[in-house]
Amino acid sequence: MKSKWSIAFIVAVWFLLVSSAVSAHHGTSGYDMEKVITLNGTVTSFNWSNPHCLVRIDVKDSKGDVKDWVVELAAPTLMTRNGWTKDSLKPGDEVVAETHPAKNGATTGLSGASTSILKFAVNGHALPFR
Amino acid sequence: MPNCKLTLNLILPVIAIFSSVLQAQTVTPAPSEKKHDAPNVAHVPDLSGPWAVVGGTPSWDPSDPRGLKPAELPMTPWALEKFKAARPPFGANATFDAVNDPVQKYCDPPGITRLYGYPWQFAFIQSPGVVYVLYEFTGLWRPVWLDREHPKSPDSTWMGDSIGRYEGDTFVIDTVGLNDKTWIDQVGHPHSDALHLIERIRRVDQDTLEVTVTFDDPKAYTKPFTGKRVYKRSSSPMEVTLCSLSEMQSFDDEVMKTTTVAPKK
Repeated sequence: MKSKWSIAFIVAVWFLLVSSAVSAHHGTSGYDMEKVITLNGTVTSFNWSNPHCLVRIDVKDSKGDVKDWVVELAAPTLMTRNGWTKDSLKPGDEVVAETHPAKNGATTGLSGASTSILKFAVNGHALPFR
Repeated sequence: MPNCKLTLNLILPVIAIFSSVLQAQTVTPAPSEKKHDAPNVAHVPDLSGPWAVVGGTPSWDPSDPRGLKPAELPMTPWALEKFKAARPPFGANATFDAVNDPVQKYCDPPGITRLYGYPWQFAFIQSPGVVYVLYEFTGLWRPVWLDREHPKSPDSTWMGDSIGRYEGDTFVIDTVGLNDKTWIDQVGHPHSDALHLIERIRRVDQDTLEVTVTFDDPKAYTKPFTGKRVYKRSSSPMEVTLCSLSEMQSFDDEVMKTTTVAPKK
């Protein structure tokens, strides 16, 4: 039985032409935009501020160690226009989140830009994505 | 004869009164009293917006809008040296490592043409003597004067000196007096303080705005070039997204650095 806290690595070919999406103020070169993984964990903080909203998620890896993932979303104004609010995530929420992982193996990911937001499910309910 | 005298007695006062009225209307005001007269145009196109960017075109090079070959924009040796020193966040040379993008590093104003490339809206407020362009990103705005020419020796500033006119359905903005501290686009193309910009802005239909920008900068580019972008009218109200250096630095520590330094095992 799959652990509730396990990281499910879903490798998908992501035919996302980076330049066809309007990138964040700093671009996406640090992330593997052709790979999407799924994080299962608990939100520890949700920073709704510029330049990018950041959500931190405690995720247990395959060894059972808890890793602190920092997941980047778009700026608040842009997230609002995609249906999110500052209350979309709260500490303690159980979340299943898709993200493009950092190329260097750091527990950092990109889940939202101005024209795209990967799938997030919070306590079983889906947040807006595009 | 008496009729002629009567006529003169009627006409002369009228002429005297009318002359004084004419004189009052034709006296040239002192420069400090100059009013902004409405431009003599039959129709002023409604450019209000707000307008949102469509798609990713990080470069103003018309032959390479996606910035895949940014070094191929014909630059002078001066500009090429500056371009090679740039570590931009977008385009073929994009990096997270030691980015020296002045906006990201210092929260410097992005500059007029670079503002067209961010995923934030802009809008126009049109009045007879001046058009104000408002930008969500970093809360910038600039006036475009419709009733004067450029100063003979304009200051070099972040937003320059802009004058404008309507040509049919097109709003033409002429800008000089820009400092050389900004990039013209997201891939790090530089410009000098000799840059002369011509923006041609036309509302193609109710929901579409076409912006054509001509860059004339003989110190930086071997010949003028013109890029074109399209924007869509947005239903979202304008908001301000400020650039805070403390927030940028915090983000740099929390995200940018962790994605450039290999994590310890």
